[in-house]
Amino acid sequence: MIEVIDFTKQYGDFMAVDGLNLSIAEGEIYGFIGPNGAGKSTTIRFLATLLRPTSGEGRIAGHSVTQDPMAVRRVIGFMPDDFGVYDGMKVWEFLDFFAVAYEIPRLERRRTIGEVLELLDLTHKRDDFVNGLSKGMKQRLCLAKTLVHNPPVLILDEPASGLDPRARLEMKSLLSELSRMGKTILVSSHILSELADFCTSIGVIERGKLLASGSIQEIQRELRAHRVLKVRLLNESPERFAHVLKEHSAVKAESVNTIDRTLSAEFEGDGSAQADLLRRLIDSGAIVEAFDEEQLSLEDVFMMITKGVVN
Amino acid sequence: MGMFRDNPVLSRELLVNLRSHRAFILQFAYAGILAVAVLVAWPRVDDGRLGASVTAARQLFDLFFFGQFILVALVAPTFAAGSITGEKERKTYELLLASPLKPSWILIGKLLSSLTYLVLLLASSLPMMILGYLLGGILLSEVARAYLVLILAAGTFGLVSLAASSYFRRTSSALVVSYLIILPLVIVSLYLASTEDITLRNFVSVTLLPPWTIAVWSIVIGLINLRLLRPPDVGSEGKEVVDEEEEQKYAIGVVIDRDLFPDKLFAPAKRTDLMPDGTNPVLDKELRSEIFSQGTLMLRVVIQVSMFLSIPLMAGFLFWRPMPGWYICYVLTFNLLVGPVFSSGSITQERERQTINLLLTTLLTPGRIVRAKLLAALRVSTVLTLLLTEQVILAYALVRDLQLQFWTIIPFFLIILVTCLMTSSIGLLWSSLVRKTSVAMIATYMSLMALFVLPVGLYRWSLSVAQGVSDEVLRWILVPSPYAAAMSVLIVGDRPTNMGGDVQPIERPLAWAGVPIWVISIGLFLVISLVCHVVTLIAFRYRWWRARESV
Repeated sequence: MIEVIDFTKQYGDFMAVDGLNLSIAEGEIYGFIGPNGAGKSTTIRFLATLLRPTSGEGRIAGHSVTQDPMAVRRVIGFMPDDFGVYDGMKVWEFLDFFAVAYEIPRLERRRTIGEVLELLDLTHKRDDFVNGLSKGMKQRLCLAKTLVHNPPVLILDEPASGLDPRARLEMKSLLSELSRMGKTILVSSHILSELADFCTSIGVIERGKLLASGSIQEIQRELRAHRVLKVRLLNESPERFAHVLKEHSAVKAESVNTIDRTLSAEFEGDGSAQADLLRRLIDSGAIVEAFDEEQLSLEDVFMMITKGVVN
Repeated sequence: MGMFRDNPVLSRELLVNLRSHRAFILQFAYAGILAVAVLVAWPRVDDGRLGASVTAARQLFDLFFFGQFILVALVAPTFAAGSITGEKERKTYELLLASPLKPSWILIGKLLSSLTYLVLLLASSLPMMILGYLLGGILLSEVARAYLVLILAAGTFGLVSLAASSYFRRTSSALVVSYLIILPLVIVSLYLASTEDITLRNFVSVTLLPPWTIAVWSIVIGLINLRLLRPPDVGSEGKEVVDEEEEQKYAIGVVIDRDLFPDKLFAPAKRTDLMPDGTNPVLDKELRSEIFSQGTLMLRVVIQVSMFLSIPLMAGFLFWRPMPGWYICYVLTFNLLVGPVFSSGSITQERERQTINLLLTTLLTPGRIVRAKLLAALRVSTVLTLLLTEQVILAYALVRDLQLQFWTIIPFFLIILVTCLMTSSIGLLWSSLVRKTSVAMIATYMSLMALFVLPVGLYRWSLSVAQGVSDEVLRWILVPSPYAAAMSVLIVGDRPTNMGGDVQPIERPLAWAGVPIWVISIGLFLVISLVCHVVTLIAFRYRWWRARESV
């Protein structure tokens, strides 16, 4: 649905984005993460037809971003990271303005505006002036604006920045709802917990280069050769059971944490090998409280991939 | 003394303003232009005419005084009108008010810093003025008096602009209201300064002016102080919404009613339902929402002041001594002042409010956006300007001298309409070229002043300098000025007794063309408007791709 091919953007000597390649399938929620100044917004502005690339190409729903920007605008809904609203306009007028700008016929407009107001829970604000809305409400209004022409692709630049925790959660559930409606969503953020729960895949960008891209599990697998199994015991001195791990053929390395009575094993086997390891531990007298594969958080992934070098 | 020496507002502004290269370049250019003027007007050694040097000195003195007076009137508001609104626009106003600084310190800091540069410019002309004094024919007291008047004018205009700046939220509103209030002061001052009666001039400038000016200053300072002590327009986001109905309830004088004629011509009523299909949404938005987004105060002040001013001018130039050209010049001046308000901010504001990216990712083409912006600005400024022409129609209906030459109303209206188009186009051009509304606005005013006034000054000056070139040829210099166009409309026929006798020189046809100035001017104004529009479109498209490149 969204494709970026060798996108490069240079400002004088400064390379903002360097040969970026990206492919996002239909229906995905793609989280675009990276430190401040990594090139997220530059890439997003390029896809939103606001920026001419130094070189490279982008395609959205088959339309070229550089050759046919008008066709691209029909299929995308764009929400910039910082935006303002017009003075002296009411909420419904604001939406009507953009609906007309997207050439939606009047009859359809009446229905669509009602629908997006309802979807974003803004119906009670319909007759309020837009410049009197709170930051969270403005953010929602802007999202309503991006939905008004019912685009299959949403490009959202930091949609939750500056929101309070409740508004942030609401924004998150809204995006999940939109994804269920079949939209392809590209969303950028530097707040990782925001993206972890609902993104189907992520891309990590730093200093203008895409360092990793794919589902979180895929990236995890790339980052680590082996899975890590964590075993928490109720027995005193868990080191007594370290030999069970060492003797198992699927365990490549092991370690013991006596303080929280945990054994860790770098494991290279399938499910039955895993079950076999558990059986052997129990047979040797271990009282197993928890036996699980260690999950990397998005923060861990991010910290492992990026070097913390910002421009 | 601490108010001056340890005033952080003053020192910050002085530092920022005076350390820029621009300040030095501008001062250099100013002194340079004056030097060239002196050099050209300097009498030749072989000039045998008796008292030639005295005439030259007198001309130089007049040029310096009138030129600098107009400069002060033009430049003082550009510095002062933005000084408090600028803080509001940058959202630093609350920081300033919340500091322990007294309002009077802020006021003095803002005033002095706005005027310091202007006073520096004036001072740099003093050596040149003294050269004129050396030619003879001018008293030293006259030079001193001239500078006294200039300084008083700078202070008054600066304070008036500062007051406007404290009352409005946008620099553009403060600027236009300042200019409108200053306009009658300038007209009266220039009239008094140009009288031949030396006793009257001395009396006014030395005895009358200083105490009255000081009195006015103290009143205005008191008003600004009060406003800074109790600022009503500082508030959170919600308070930025202006309730039009509420505001109108407490309005003094004119009330704008969008449902009634003629108000609905420039401010159509707000929509109660969706736009019809095929509407240009930008045009609709500009006319119905944006025009009163900052409240109706600015427009009400503009309409009332202009109507008030038009009464004596109408009585004088339309009824008492029918010279409609002069009244039309007033109408054109009004358009010059008001036109830029609606055009020069229309693209920069999208940028400042960060709505430009929302607009640019819709299906609207740059052409449609720019066209809508131009049409909206043109409509508002033209309707407001035409409000002043009902007096002209009345005069043509009632005054016999004008009835006899009823056709002259056509060129007058053509000149007004085409000038409206030109002022809006130039405003929009600047709005597409620069980033900030205040810069666009000042650039627009400067370009328009150059277009309106410079040809007249240049023509008068070349009349005295260029010997041997016929007046018919020299008058081509006047073509770009709408003032000259209005004054060149021929009022003849059986020329009634009180119409001033013969055909005025300016009404005679131009060399080569054989037509009066206004015919060529109208064509030129249309060409200028078209060129501006094309350049605006190119600049906008270019910026469209370059949006946020610098980030």
